[in-house]
Amino acid sequence: MEERLYDLIFITRPATPEEEIKKVISGIEHTCAEKGGKVEKTENWGTRKLAYRVKKHREGIYVHQEIRTTHGELIAELERRLRVQDVIIKYQTVRLDEDLKRQKKLGDKRALRVARRPRRAPAAAPAPAPAGPEQTAAAS
Amino acid sequence: MAEEQKQTQAPGGGGPPRREGGSGGPRREGGGPGGPGGGPGGPGGRPRGKRQYFRKKKVCKFCVEKMDFIDYKRPDILSQFVQERGKILPRRMTGVCSRHQRWLGVAIKRARNIALMPFAGSAAGTQTPRVVVPAAAHAAPAVAHPAPPAATEAPKV
Repeated sequence: MEERLYDLIFITRPATPEEEIKKVISGIEHTCAEKGGKVEKTENWGTRKLAYRVKKHREGIYVHQEIRTTHGELIAELERRLRVQDVIIKYQTVRLDEDLKRQKKLGDKRALRVARRPRRAPAAAPAPAPAGPEQTAAAS
Repeated sequence: MAEEQKQTQAPGGGGPPRREGGSGGPRREGGGPGGPGGGPGGPGGRPRGKRQYFRKKKVCKFCVEKMDFIDYKRPDILSQFVQERGKILPRRMTGVCSRHQRWLGVAIKRARNIALMPFAGSAAGTQTPRVVVPAAAHAAPAVAHPAPPAATEAPKV
């Protein structure tokens, strides 16, 4: 099974003390360790203004984590746990590995295309002409 | 054109612009070629273009910067492609290519879900994410108003 990368962002109430947040984070790590996943990165963005009112709050503490796992059910378990805690007012998980794979593929293709086309001095007039059909062939 | 015969019998029964009964006919043909001749030739073919379509320059910002992954966590980038009211701008306004417009829509919707961007309302209140080193001397969250000034309160609710 290939490895998947997920983005998890959750928002807690604005006046949540630091140890509560740490408890939540360690709970997530614990769950990941149980089910075979790994928390790659944890970022606490601190208090941010929300774009709209969530549960009557205008601000919240954002925490962002990256989780790498081969088991997709881990995410369902994490979401279930996040849902029951009422310090957390919003959460979102996004699967990222396909996007990153595609980004890498496009980047590699672009690098290949750039390397294949020899860089000529722009003064020469026939330079665009041979580059034209080559570009359309590579772009397809 | 068939209305002209009816108009002689019931003047003013037709549309409001054809106020003059008899002279309304030739006036219309005269007004036709004046339209696209005066306008920048946007829609082409229609006698009276409702608004003038000018094409923005066909340059997709993401293609130029070679950005293949549009991050939903960056509302500062995303809000360039969003109206004042929060609606996503169409491609012909922003000049984005179709592939990036699709990805942009996905990213904006994800950002809306996590309250980084509004569903409706001004996006002027969004901030860039501040990466805070965890467990550093972060100001106690009990402080009511954080350092960045709350720029504009959302006018709704």
